[in-house]
Amino acid sequence: MRFILAWCLTSLLFMASFNVRADGIVVDKVYHPYVLPFEREFEWRLISHQTDKGNILAQRIGLGGSFNDTMSLEGYAVGERDDDGNFGFSAYELELRWQLVEQGRLWADWGALFELEKQEGKDSYEATTGFLWEKEFGRTSLTMNAFLVYEWGGDIKNEWETEFRAQYRYRFRSEFQPALELYAGEDFFGIGPGFIGLHRFSAKRQLKWEAGFVTELSQQGKDHSFRLALEFEF
Amino acid sequence: MNNWLGFISLLLFSVLPFSCFAKEYKLILKDHLFYPAEIIVPANTKLKLLIENQDSTPEEFDSFDLNREKVLYPNRSSVIYIGPLSPGRYEFFGEFSPNTARGAVLVEGKTDADN
Repeated sequence: MRFILAWCLTSLLFMASFNVRADGIVVDKVYHPYVLPFEREFEWRLISHQTDKGNILAQRIGLGGSFNDTMSLEGYAVGERDDDGNFGFSAYELELRWQLVEQGRLWADWGALFELEKQEGKDSYEATTGFLWEKEFGRTSLTMNAFLVYEWGGDIKNEWETEFRAQYRYRFRSEFQPALELYAGEDFFGIGPGFIGLHRFSAKRQLKWEAGFVTELSQQGKDHSFRLALEFEF
Repeated sequence: MNNWLGFISLLLFSVLPFSCFAKEYKLILKDHLFYPAEIIVPANTKLKLLIENQDSTPEEFDSFDLNREKVLYPNRSSVIYIGPLSPGRYEFFGEFSPNTARGAVLVEGKTDADN
């Protein structure tokens, strides 16, 4: 427990000492710090990033599940369509989520995320580590993610980056939970509405959906992102 | 400097083990039924549900009202921390036996508006 708290403190203080900076598409998913045993999931995500220069479309499919009470592992294949309209397989990624404390035991809930991504056909890697944080306020929940990212390889500039994501949602009903989302990275500060929902088909089988529309606020010019995620748990 | 102090205060506050103040309630899951099926608890109090699954199969405690999901391993006790809650009825069920394993937490007490 002391190690975990020390790690959280170190991560937070380290990240806070940087300005929030990250390139690429910052809008993605706000992770919750919970892992359920026996959980298996198939996931599809879509992110459409529209600027004055054009549209970048990214999709990813993932398959994974928990392998003990507090950890889950998921593998992703990522495809992107660039400004020229070419869509293709662009990267693959491995993601480990770790629930650090029992939900509700502390004043707030903590988790951790570790990701390793390799660009297809390039000597380009990205490692991400960070904390996941959530706190209930009555029927609302505030979730925050802070990530430290390191990119390296022969085809990419070696650099450190940081990202921050937040989501404040109202648990109106399981099928529809409206939310406000915030994303911050290098040259990007976006905010916008979203929603989350869940439908249970049977025991152990349920579909979760998330969507958000985020507008960049720190600069002039068009910069909108639409994100959609579907998770089938079985 | 003030920002840093506030930030560190929030951080330290968020790792406090509030569970040591939690009031404990025991439930039993047997033959895919919760006993007692309803518990009455005070409002605005941190609660610790200790659920003993006496069945030979796992169950998943699920409650949208309480915002909790937890696997209850067979022949073991599991802990679920909830609250502080406002007065009202908060339903829960077993995801693997949703027709039988059902229950509710009844929260009684004064609301903030009553004070």
